[in-house]
Amino acid sequence: MSPRVILVTGANGGLGRAIAAAFLAESPQNLLWLGVRANRDKAESLSRENPGRCRLVELDVTRPDEWQKVVARIVSEDKRLDVLVNNAGKHHDGLLANLPFTAWQEVIASNLDATFHGCQAVLPTMISQRNGRIINIASLSALLAPAGQTNYAAAKAGVVALTQSLAKEVARIGITVNAVCPGYVDTESLAAMDGEARKSALGRVPMRRFGKPEEVAAAVRFLACPDAGYITGSILKVDGGIL
Amino acid sequence: MEDINAIQTRVKSMIVENLMLQIGVSEIKDDQPLFGPGSLGLDSVDALQLVVALDKNFGLKIPDPAAAKEILQNVGTIVAAVRQKFTGTSLAEP
Repeated sequence: MSPRVILVTGANGGLGRAIAAAFLAESPQNLLWLGVRANRDKAESLSRENPGRCRLVELDVTRPDEWQKVVARIVSEDKRLDVLVNNAGKHHDGLLANLPFTAWQEVIASNLDATFHGCQAVLPTMISQRNGRIINIASLSALLAPAGQTNYAAAKAGVVALTQSLAKEVARIGITVNAVCPGYVDTESLAAMDGEARKSALGRVPMRRFGKPEEVAAAVRFLACPDAGYITGSILKVDGGIL
Repeated sequence: MEDINAIQTRVKSMIVENLMLQIGVSEIKDDQPLFGPGSLGLDSVDALQLVVALDKNFGLKIPDPAAAKEILQNVGTIVAAVRQKFTGTSLAEP
């Protein structure tokens, strides 16, 4: 496999770190850029373990100017950008009746706006290369629309629709755009749930276990690999059979 | 700075190669519209590719849709914009 330059956002989280690790393990030629913001300890350790192949870059995904700077730096240093994984995002759950508008805005900004900004920032480079892979991390919430997640479900459903629409726009240019919808995956979000909620969540999973970040990462890595060249606009669930 | 003929040929080659048109460079007329009736039949995705290709090949930045509409009318208007960028002169000047 030829060398590839890959940018993963939200790289300090459990899922982002697993995705970055999967690309690092895939080929010694892969070069990783890890987008981080406030927290960076886990991403830093990954970078230290992979000197020369894994660089951290400060990126507030809600800010288009930061996206432009980061992509310009990557292209300046590595001369190309092959894969973007829009993984960063946050949730702020609550019933809509009581949901502060700021909680709506922040979730839409960090999930949906951020995906828009990321795609827009990398497209000129990928169009110029006539090749590129964009993988957007959505969520099963986009498809299930659970109560208490109007903001998150709407944002992720937006990511799904953005993915499918953009895929059609750039298909002929050799760029694929796909989304992955993780279900209950053993990351910080799941760890933050109380015991009852975890038990209830587990009861909804036909496989009777939570997913591992590595299992989501494997799906992302596949969508980015040459063998997935004819897959675009797809929404891949990684959910243990919930839906 | 290359002469107009050389730029015209480069622009036509760029269009054919980037948009993977199934026609030869010589078949594109300088004043043939790129979009709309009687045109090469390009669409908005082709326009997007042309904007990126012009930046890459000539360093010509097209900042907004209004400028794109002006510059991407035909090969002649593209060549004029390229010349203007490099020399400050338009195609209409001697």
